Amino acid sequence: MDRNFSRHPEARAQRASKDAGPGASAVALRGPLRGHLRVTVIAILLALLPVAMHAETIEDKAQVCAACHGENGVPVEQAMPVPVIWGQNLGYLFFQLRDFKSGMRKSDTMVPICEGLDRNDLMPLAQYFSKKPWPKLAQPRPPADVTALAQRANTSVVCTSCHQEGFLGDGTQPRLAGQVRAYLEKTMTDFRSGARGNNPGMTDLMKAITPADTAALAAWLAGM
Amino acid sequence: MTRIGKTMLLAGAMTLPLAYVALAQETGGGGGGGGAASVPIPTVSQAMLSAAAGDSKNFLHTNANYDQTRFHPASQINTKNVKDLHVAWIFQTDVRESMETSPIIVNGVMYVTTSFDHVYALNAQTGEQIWHYKHDMGPITVYCCGPNNRGAAVLGDKVYIGTLDAKLVALDAKTGKVVWSQQVADPSLGYSETMAPTAVDGKVLIGTNGGEYGIRGFVKAYDANDGKLLWTFSTIPENSVGVWATKDATGHDMHRDIAAEKAALAKNGDPYKTLGGGVWQNPSVDLATKRIYFVVGNPSPDLDGAIRPGDNLYTDSLVSVDLDTGKLACYFQYIAHDVWDLDATSPTVLVNVKDKNGKTVPGVLHAGKTGYIYVHDRKDCSLIRFSEPMVSQKDRWVLPTPTQPLDPKSARMFPGANGGVEWSPIATNPGMSLAYAINLEQEMTYTVASAPYPDGKLWLGGAFTNVPGGVQAGNVTAVDYDTGKIRWQVKTPQPMIGGILATAGGVVFAGESNGWFKAYDAKDGKMLWKFHAGAGVNAPPSSYTVGGKQYIVVGAGGNVQVDSKRGDSVVAFTLD
Repeated sequence: MDRNFSRHPEARAQRASKDAGPGASAVALRGPLRGHLRVTVIAILLALLPVAMHAETIEDKAQVCAACHGENGVPVEQAMPVPVIWGQNLGYLFFQLRDFKSGMRKSDTMVPICEGLDRNDLMPLAQYFSKKPWPKLAQPRPPADVTALAQRANTSVVCTSCHQEGFLGDGTQPRLAGQVRAYLEKTMTDFRSGARGNNPGMTDLMKAITPADTAALAAWLAGM
Repeated sequence: MTRIGKTMLLAGAMTLPLAYVALAQETGGGGGGGGAASVPIPTVSQAMLSAAAGDSKNFLHTNANYDQTRFHPASQINTKNVKDLHVAWIFQTDVRESMETSPIIVNGVMYVTTSFDHVYALNAQTGEQIWHYKHDMGPITVYCCGPNNRGAAVLGDKVYIGTLDAKLVALDAKTGKVVWSQQVADPSLGYSETMAPTAVDGKVLIGTNGGEYGIRGFVKAYDANDGKLLWTFSTIPENSVGVWATKDATGHDMHRDIAAEKAALAKNGDPYKTLGGGVWQNPSVDLATKRIYFVVGNPSPDLDGAIRPGDNLYTDSLVSVDLDTGKLACYFQYIAHDVWDLDATSPTVLVNVKDKNGKTVPGVLHAGKTGYIYVHDRKDCSLIRFSEPMVSQKDRWVLPTPTQPLDPKSARMFPGANGGVEWSPIATNPGMSLAYAINLEQEMTYTVASAPYPDGKLWLGGAFTNVPGGVQAGNVTAVDYDTGKIRWQVKTPQPMIGGILATAGGVVFAGESNGWFKAYDAKDGKMLWKFHAGAGVNAPPSSYTVGGKQYIVVGAGGNVQVDSKRGDSVVAFTLD
């Protein structure tokens, strides 16, 4: 997808009228000189072609996400861990798109992508992905001692009081069950350090558990 | 559910409520008592609501009556025969999640709510479903402590609930269809509704969730007929600073650094805009004086006081406002500048109490997360006395420490951040001048960390964590509110959250997180009966009479805050 192509309606209209000349679309069909008329019409059509072809459904706009988040929702391995977004809770997806777009949540990959998104597309995009089925990643269940450590950490900060029983979350509280293990661990670590700064409450809670707890939690949640 | 029942459910889902009712009438519903819809849906008059305290047939309010005594006047079930109580019916809802609802019963029709804002109308005699409403939840929900709903209010021909996406919804009591819906506040800023509304005098009153998210709390009154907003009382005044109180209501020093706070105030101004102050529970209503009494939750952020200088009015306070105008009548702050999340959540109770001179005066009770029951003069909210502490107060006034991962020097204290008495309503037996409360005892570590207001995200200003292997226990305590003395106390193996009911039969009912639902002798706390419901019984019980028989009913769906076993059921009990 051409990232330079602005989807903003005004920009599209400007580009169309710029190519065809001011007021051209209004007078083109009545223009006296056929040569000019033909060129003008072709110019208009060419300018409008990308708009006509990309009726710009949300499905179209979401295609860019598949490169990392997976054609079938199974994230593609990258240098940085990539999370499952298929089937994630709607309010949470919306908040993350919003926070990437404003820069409140930092990411070299996601911030530029979201800056290019139309504000009015954030909720439809979130709705699109929230309706998809959560992929089965078949991550292994950890051994009993790791599970015990994770359960102890959960008892301490009561993760389920926001992430709900079964860690399925709801609304703006994300599902953690079955999420990519490396992404979970990185997220908890980034909250603790403040590298992820868009939820100070989570930062406080991650400071209250150790890195060993974090690793155990990531393995336990991924294996659900 | 029977096959007939399933057909009725399908018909209802296809929005053919009249046909669905007619179908049930035609088929009759088989043996024992007639079909679900052979119970006509009653209209609820204001007269009925006002007289609820003496109504042994019904349970018309979340907390039994406008005084919120949770004292039911029926005495068919009593201390002698409660041992023979058995299950009458079980209704299994579609939602296996935390259940905090107080069932409402009107002339044999029961209304219960579940997590995620489902409402069911049931035949209170048989448990059969009449209709089912599933709230169409908006995309943004931001809430604390579980996707709960603590119940419905009834008035006229409508049933009212608050929803997680911060709406107040009025349903047609006959069909469960939406009549009107109001957006109470913006959910993306941390506002949501988990409480039951209160219906009175053509108005529906509701508070708000959100003290963990930097809201500015309120109580709002809406027109019961059309949903028009009538008045808003802001629980946080623009001048929230107060009097720089250094001691709490029980006279303990809170170790405030007043100089530092005054400097912060001079630098950053009054923090009222994001100061918190949610209202979690129903207000009690004094119909004679037309005043309501409610308690206000914690300041935001919960643990970091440095960025919110001043007393943080009216957080952690008893407040009374005029029912018609919403204007402030009086207030009393339990803890100024709270940094322990010891907010006031358990609903107020209006009873006559003895003042300091032994004279009987109209009073207000509140059971705190602090573990005390406070007794006030209703006229001016002044404190008459507070009870003996119902839970340990070990290291109670230690300040939260700057966060260090599991530093052994971190402040450990009782009571933990859940109390004491959490949102659980108390019950009273006015004849015995006893109040019954259920408590939590959880050893917690408090740490503090500063962060600026995060635009509606979780904002605790630190963390409270359960000490692994630390004390996790609870109790049921009976307090004489005329003397403040504890009359009896039964310890429970797990922290208690949910509610309690007292009846004229001299029995007190309370459920536990481990699934046991028990009956106690109101006089001395002797356990008279118990039943294992299979999931945490963390909801307030109700009682009612239909077909000449008294029933006790309670939700057994577990609870998010104490992470008890989740379930989906409402269970009703009766005698033979």
